[in-house]
Amino acid sequence: MKTGKIFRIGVVALSMALATSLASAQAANSGAQTIALNATLAESLTLSLSANAVNFTLAAGSPTNAGSTNITATTTWVLKPGRTAVGVYAYFASAAAALTDGAGDNIPSSAFFIADNAGPSTALTSATVFNAANAGMQLANVAITGANKNASRTDVMAFNINLSGGTLPQLPAATYNGTLNIQAQATP
Amino acid sequence: MSWQTKFGRVAAVLAVMLAALASPLHAQVLNSGASTITLQAVLTDSISVSLSGNAVNFNLTAGSSNNPGSVGVTATTSWLLKPSVGSVNLYAFFSNSAAALTDGAGDNIPSADFQISDNAGPFTTLTSTVPFGGANAGLLVSSVKILGNNKSGTRTDVLNFNINLSTLPNMNAGTYTGTLTIQAQAI
Repeated sequence: MKTGKIFRIGVVALSMALATSLASAQAANSGAQTIALNATLAESLTLSLSANAVNFTLAAGSPTNAGSTNITATTTWVLKPGRTAVGVYAYFASAAAALTDGAGDNIPSSAFFIADNAGPSTALTSATVFNAANAGMQLANVAITGANKNASRTDVMAFNINLSGGTLPQLPAATYNGTLNIQAQATP
Repeated sequence: MSWQTKFGRVAAVLAVMLAALASPLHAQVLNSGASTITLQAVLTDSISVSLSGNAVNFNLTAGSSNNPGSVGVTATTSWLLKPSVGSVNLYAFFSNSAAALTDGAGDNIPSADFQISDNAGPFTTLTSTVPFGGANAGLLVSSVKILGNNKSGTRTDVLNFNINLSTLPNMNAGTYTGTLTIQAQAI
């Protein structure tokens, strides 16, 4: 009798444990709902200048006619993978008439010099991606790596006009005006 | 169709799609906007005359046509001109034709008796009316035509002087002083 009781109690306890276990195994899950995420970091390349005008007081025949002020070009970029370089360029629309008095007397781009970040003064005599032949120069070339796809660069430009070459010592007195362009390009 | 054939076709399609996606990225360089710098360079026009000396003495002989100055004077004219200028003229003149030199007591040597030889040329009296000075009291010493190749230039004029007293034989003894002015004009 005693043995039978114990047996019955054991059976009941085992049944209850089994029922509890079965209840835990049967969780109800909903279906998975997805949310599509789209985050765009637009590619950009901008260039800003600290000022937009430079004056020169010329001395006839002199190789040294410095600009009234330096100008800082700040180039800022956010680039996609695959870009390998950012170039900064300075250029005129015309090599023969970088500055002109409007009466046929011109200062060519070969007499216009830029020193970038206190480097050597260089005439604008190269063809670049933006200008007509022999009217520009590349100020800077930045190699793009994994570490600088989002970065900036500053170029401090100092200007000079050299009136000592060719027929420029005979340049007549006048006011000569021109427009220098500064532009950047990311490649490829 | 074998699985190898299927795999090959799928791989070929994927390669074409990748190439199509990659090509535009490499072909499209990214340019910033062009920022402009306005340049203004001013070459100011100028004209100047400098003289090698500022005093000439004469030892006069009464009635003589030949009373040369003690020294020649070189006038150096320098200019930097605008395109519209046609010539540079150098003038010598007195303020008064009747009394180029005077003793201050009413006795005068007129400009008509004062002569200048420019660069060893002939002696010429100062009897013209020029842009500066008194009427009939001047001389155009030289004139330079300005062309495309001499808008910036210089010129030297070596001036020698003489006083002709042949028309003033009765001039009183005395010290006669005067001021001759040399001036250039771009026109």
